[in-house]
Amino acid sequence: MTSPDTRGRRRREALRPASLLAYLVLAVGAVLTLAPFLLSFLTALKTPRQFASQSPLAWPDPVTGENFAELFGGGGFVSPVVVTAQVVVVVVVGQLVFSIMAAYAFAWLRFPGRDGLFWLFLATLMVPQVVTVVPLYTMFSAVGLSNTFWALVLPFVLGSPYAVFLLREYFRGIPADLLDAARIDGAGTWTILWRVVVPLARPIVATLVIITVVTHWNNFLWPLIITTGPTWQTVTVATAALQGQHDSNWTLVMAATTVAIAPLLVVFAVFQRHIVSSISLTGFR
Amino acid sequence: MTVPAPSALPAVPSPGRTRRRRHRDAPVAWVLLAPALAGIVAFLALPILVVAWLSLTRWNLLAPPTFVGPDNWVRVLTEPTFGHSMLVTVLFVAMVIPTQTGLGLLMAVLLSRGLPGSAFFRVVYVVPWICAPLALGVVWKWIFAPYGGALNALLGTSVEWLTSPALALPAVAAVSIWSQVGYVTLFFLAGLAAIPGQLLEAAALDGAGAWQTFWRIKLPLLGPTTFFVLVTGVIASFQAFDHIYALTPDGGPQGATDVIAARIYLDAFGSGAFDLGRAAVMALCLFAVLVVVTVLQQRFFARRVTYDLS
Repeated sequence: MTSPDTRGRRRREALRPASLLAYLVLAVGAVLTLAPFLLSFLTALKTPRQFASQSPLAWPDPVTGENFAELFGGGGFVSPVVVTAQVVVVVVVGQLVFSIMAAYAFAWLRFPGRDGLFWLFLATLMVPQVVTVVPLYTMFSAVGLSNTFWALVLPFVLGSPYAVFLLREYFRGIPADLLDAARIDGAGTWTILWRVVVPLARPIVATLVIITVVTHWNNFLWPLIITTGPTWQTVTVATAALQGQHDSNWTLVMAATTVAIAPLLVVFAVFQRHIVSSISLTGFR
Repeated sequence: MTVPAPSALPAVPSPGRTRRRRHRDAPVAWVLLAPALAGIVAFLALPILVVAWLSLTRWNLLAPPTFVGPDNWVRVLTEPTFGHSMLVTVLFVAMVIPTQTGLGLLMAVLLSRGLPGSAFFRVVYVVPWICAPLALGVVWKWIFAPYGGALNALLGTSVEWLTSPALALPAVAAVSIWSQVGYVTLFFLAGLAAIPGQLLEAAALDGAGAWQTFWRIKLPLLGPTTFFVLVTGVIASFQAFDHIYALTPDGGPQGATDVIAARIYLDAFGSGAFDLGRAAVMALCLFAVLVVVTVLQQRFFARRVTYDLS
């Protein structure tokens, strides 16, 4: 709660020339940030005829849904949305479950070689995707898994070193007394993990769910390489392909980018506070 | 890719536990670790070995692979393409990093004044960061279009932003900066919020103005934050691919935007050449650069770039 006193001071503060200048810069930044989203969405709502005959900055008149109808009809965008949604669900569930298991072992169990193994996990954080996609492509081709659903999820579903690292840090902060109490009550490792540790770690689990959803909805390079043809195209790959085919049909292409962007904007709008605070907390990349 | 500093890895204490205890946990631990360990070995460690093998092999995915020794390495390191791509990448990083860091710092300082509405701006700036870089690249491809594009309509021009060799790389860098400033801003905001209030009060009592306080107190104390933002930014920019591919799928006019990640993709899959050996060599070179950056970061963190405030 801000007291009336501070509020009055803040309001006076807001009207000083320096503050007005600050507002000006902040507002210009906000306009530059949001304008591309707004302009592309408005373009998606225009008829191709209006787009061809008027300024690209003109308001859509009439507002039309025909670009979206074409996108999901002839444009074949239903399948990429379904495929991407499936990939995201499978990867989120698998990655979280397996990362939680590994993080618990690293945080609370004692076994020979634990610290060396944890360093191996940390070292793999350094391996960038650009370096692994070429060998992964040959590996998946060699076993006949290229252009399958498995190819899209397998490299990610077994856990991520980043998630293991963050979860382990969080698990270490849970008081050992709580785990001992559960053990004395006769709970086994599995029960302790899912009934005691995970409920206590809900904030970091929520953060990881959001990070994983965003990362895999947006993922592009690996799906681009490992899929051919429309069957297993994800939304990003389908958007790139559509742009390649319809180079100047911008109203249709902007409908595609809207479909690629909008779901995450909704997620962001709902969880913005959590996302903003977790970015600076975790480094989230 | 974010690599935690060594200080972020607390040693796990093992006080007074018996050997029996160690071994009782071991089977459970291995069961819990098995899936994640299998994933890391198969999809992160093994590919490093495979890429090293590929770099010594000639293979176009059709005929069986043949061992050619250092052939690919000689080709990559003597032909001008790789050097050109490295140069373009370094130029790209040199345009993106100082600009996004400076703008991020500016926005954070303005937001940290605590003016009403700051929370709203802070959220707005992060929006591009969470969106698919590929989709944003396609949006900007339209904005940059010479005919029917928003930017030329706004300026009343018909500039070929993406097909002019002089403008393509700055245009691609601008999109990168646009999408990342909000992310950088968040870290500087957190850094500014961590500066103890009494330090700023003491400075104010001593008669320091806003300008002096910024240069003499806030900026030095932001050292670790700046360093983190710079290192993670450099590492990410060296790998930039998605939006560059969307804007200039073929490496740009006269290779102006042919960054190393795009070159790896184009050599391996894009141009129909399927030159996996070349791509593997370049991937290893990129990996080496990133490892050097990361090791430097660790060294630097180990020397503790912080100011002791106690």
